[in-house]
Amino acid sequence: MARFNAVDIVLWGLRIGVVAVVVGGTIGTLLHNRYTAAQWFDFVVFGLTIGSIYAQIALGYTMVYGVLRLINFAHGDIVMTGAFAGYFVATPLDRSGFLNNHPVLGMSAILAVSIVTSTSIAVLTERIAYRPFRRVVGLAPLICAIGVSFFLEQTFRGMFGSAVKSYPSPDWQRATFQLLGFNVPRVDVLVIGLALVFMAGLYLIVQRTRMGTAMRAVAEDGEAAALMGIDVNKVVVFTFVLGGAMAGIAGVFYAFVYKQVYFFMGFTPGIKAFGAAVLGGIGNIPGAMLGGFFLGMVESVGPTLFLDGIGIPAPYQLRDLIAFTLLIMVLIFRPQGLLGERMARKRA
Amino acid sequence: MYHRLSGPMILAAAALIGMAYTASAATVGPVTDDLGVIRIAKGAPIQIGAYWVLSGADTALGLDEKRGVEIAFKDVGGKLLGHPLKLNAEDDGCNAEGGQTAATKLAANPQTAIVLGPACSSAATPGAPILWQQGVVDICTACTAPALTASTRKPEYAGFARTVFSDSEQGKADATYVHNVLKAQSVVTIHDGSPYAQQLQQVMADNFKQLGGKVLSQEAIAPTDVDMHPLLTRIASEKPDLIYFPVFTAAAAQILRQAKETPGLEHTKLMGGGSLLSADFIEAAGPSIVGFIIGYPDVSPDAMGKNYPKFVEQYKKDYGEAPISGYHANAYDGAMLAIKAIEKVAKTDKDGNLYIGRKALRDAVFDTKFEGISGPIACDPYGECSQFKPSVLEFTSADPKTFGIGKNPKKIWP
Repeated sequence: MARFNAVDIVLWGLRIGVVAVVVGGTIGTLLHNRYTAAQWFDFVVFGLTIGSIYAQIALGYTMVYGVLRLINFAHGDIVMTGAFAGYFVATPLDRSGFLNNHPVLGMSAILAVSIVTSTSIAVLTERIAYRPFRRVVGLAPLICAIGVSFFLEQTFRGMFGSAVKSYPSPDWQRATFQLLGFNVPRVDVLVIGLALVFMAGLYLIVQRTRMGTAMRAVAEDGEAAALMGIDVNKVVVFTFVLGGAMAGIAGVFYAFVYKQVYFFMGFTPGIKAFGAAVLGGIGNIPGAMLGGFFLGMVESVGPTLFLDGIGIPAPYQLRDLIAFTLLIMVLIFRPQGLLGERMARKRA
Repeated sequence: MYHRLSGPMILAAAALIGMAYTASAATVGPVTDDLGVIRIAKGAPIQIGAYWVLSGADTALGLDEKRGVEIAFKDVGGKLLGHPLKLNAEDDGCNAEGGQTAATKLAANPQTAIVLGPACSSAATPGAPILWQQGVVDICTACTAPALTASTRKPEYAGFARTVFSDSEQGKADATYVHNVLKAQSVVTIHDGSPYAQQLQQVMADNFKQLGGKVLSQEAIAPTDVDMHPLLTRIASEKPDLIYFPVFTAAAAQILRQAKETPGLEHTKLMGGGSLLSADFIEAAGPSIVGFIIGYPDVSPDAMGKNYPKFVEQYKKDYGEAPISGYHANAYDGAMLAIKAIEKVAKTDKDGNLYIGRKALRDAVFDTKFEGISGPIACDPYGECSQFKPSVLEFTSADPKTFGIGKNPKKIWP
């Protein structure tokens, strides 16, 4: 007969409590029938939009962790640097009318500058700050990453001020179109679609190219990979290039959806994306994508679906609580994350 | 076991009691004061502490007040009773942690005579008790949360006064405007958990209900929230006539922008609070700001003190721009209140050293009356020293360079 200790009882109580809130709240909300189908559709679109951005940021965390076993806390700030670089291109393009008249060329230019900037900063960060700590065990690399995060934030604050800057909003972005009878904001579809394309591209690079194979080999066992002739330094730099590029893209998308840039803007999405990477199984690329979308959806749909039905007032102030409670619940059931097992089995 | 008190023991006890008594009323130089005395050596500066938001999205709020105080110092020649005035300004980040840190730092300096600021109630709520614990009076220059000067406030706020209005007046005026002028029948309020936003929206909601309106819900966000779409979609399902969100720059700009894109809110009016009166907010909100209204005290020249136009000219001359936010006059008056109170109680000895009793200074602040540039200044027993005249302002342009109180935003009521 199985014996339960106090911790087991608390954990089971927590699980039952969360399941009761989720199920009871969902039934209550649906029975209440307060929201139209169009509004539910909007909740899902908003969740997918922010989720796709979290997923792209989470990829940077998960790739660096996979290769270096380092939590790169500065990654959210690399996103910020990309958003700022994009801002300085987007603003004159918008003022001149070019962004409105040539949206594809304009967006390409903004993304290109953003990617180059964030990639350069990510690579410099690796070379200057992280490489000296590569062989250091303990918390020093993590503290270094936090230091880099502060350094980037305060440098951008010093250079560009602490005020919130408004991102351009060209006409074609504000338009909506009809899908299955629902109004869909064009910018949201653009962000979700392009994010999926870029993430698929990254996945193919990691899975189908020689450098991607080398990355996976270093992630599996760095020393063995080096003995097989793989240049680990080159692989690490390549990992930061990929992560930096995704951060640049995410920064521009984030700014185009939420229309603001400021020096501290990378912190919150960075922390959330890190949560998404852990949720998906840190070190696992599809896991990071899945974790990002999961977190976005829970943030967007969760407060309304789970809390409205049980009469919680102002449920949106609890969205982070809901998202991270579910994250903890998933990790209690699956400590390796949603897709983390595949890597563990391979290693075994 | 039984002990008899011997004569020496009784004497020792009496001496201890006597020391304790004298410790509670310190005498330094010619001044005796229950809360202690500051001694400022001949020629040394009178140090006036200050804490405002001087970084981040709400910088304009604090910087505007700092400039108001600097002009006040300049107007008295930069000196008081023969001692130079020195402003020790700290950045509180407009949050509780920053307020606590800044107040602790200022309180730790035994030469801090009095403190001005902060701009945010979030910072004042933990900051004022820390200062008063050391006997330092805090004259707030823009924090408007009603609880800070309520008749029910706790004793640790006894050293707190403000030269700015209370939101109990602002919320009432906003409710009156929304109900009687806009003819709105239903509202939803949003706050960000800060004492300012939470209390102001509550006062507004209570008054709106008393006027016969319906408060459909009172929502809450975090100040760092960016994605307001789900919240606004939820609000749209309630079909309110107006959304009232007296929150700060970054979050308010997101609500404003995203509300315009939310189906179901096309005809819903939006209203904010005085925390949004800055060029930075125009920059953050972009084109969606045109037509947006905020409740604010009437700061048009005819509603202000007679010296206000002269002050504005000085401000432009000193800083090369018009006032960047709306609390400069309150800050100027706060500084003048501090200066007048110090003048009243400070004593100089024959060597030229200056002495200020802390309790005497507190009493002088609460007793001083004068005609300020923001209107008459006279404190009630709970530290409310400002008079309130309501108004509603409407933004007319999305160009931050056009910011100017009375122009963009322009007064539309009364």
